[in-house]
Amino acid sequence: MLFSERSIWTMVHGIGLGGGALLGLAAALFYLYAARPAPSSDAETGSRAFATVTAFTAVMLWLTVIIGTYIIFPPYRVTPPPGTTDLIQFPRALILSNPSTAWLHAFAMETKEHMPWIASMLTTAVAFIAVRYRRTALSNPAMRRMAFTLLGVSFAVVTFVSLLGVFVNKVAPLD
Amino acid sequence: MATVSRSQSPAPADTNGAAMAAVLGGGIGSFAMGAFVLLNEAGLFTAPALYGPAGGVTGRTTFATAVWLLAWGVLHARWRAREMAYGPVFTWTVGLVVLAIVATFPPVWGLL
Repeated sequence: MLFSERSIWTMVHGIGLGGGALLGLAAALFYLYAARPAPSSDAETGSRAFATVTAFTAVMLWLTVIIGTYIIFPPYRVTPPPGTTDLIQFPRALILSNPSTAWLHAFAMETKEHMPWIASMLTTAVAFIAVRYRRTALSNPAMRRMAFTLLGVSFAVVTFVSLLGVFVNKVAPLD
Repeated sequence: MATVSRSQSPAPADTNGAAMAAVLGGGIGSFAMGAFVLLNEAGLFTAPALYGPAGGVTGRTTFATAVWLLAWGVLHARWRAREMAYGPVFTWTVGLVVLAIVATFPPVWGLL
């Protein structure tokens, strides 16, 4: 079989859902930056697209963190039986077995365990605003500023943990 | 020929209270995540593992999510019909989020 079940889940988590969330965050940020409604324009039309993309992004983020925590993380952290010398099926043990890669668990994976949940909460808050205040979310400067800041923080966090995920998967992939 | 009329979309919210509740709720939830992580690292409180194979992270994240939803719900109930000042609420939110990110940054745990 070309890809194992664990490998497929890793791709769904990192590339499909995480990548989709990053794209959504980038699109939402660009929308906030570039699509300032003119006073005479139909603000609701543009706001509907913004609401759709932020809601989509929030869903992607929640699926990413839930699948990451409950499906990807368990096989990653399995402890190998005593005497095991081939650690390829035990990513955490493999990473920790080499001092030059131990930071990938102590820093990268520990960061990935918690920080993305913050992005999920903040993006959900913006999605709620974009949906409930569809007519004013883009035209109200204070709301735009809040949404831009929170989505910017989420984008930075998700980009950071995605990069860490690439590093971990490069050294100890879930095959 | 029958005509189809589209009903007007709901009237826009008059007050910003629900938005501010969502924003501050996100800040409180984020802070809760950081707090549960720091408490765990300091050995002061360890959230139980809700799914054994994934370990304690399931308890910490579930508890933080519960705090987030609870805080959001309470704030929403209290503020939804009110007009809130943007500045203080947003400043508190940003402060809580910054603290949360610092708290979930592993190098910080070594300072405990």
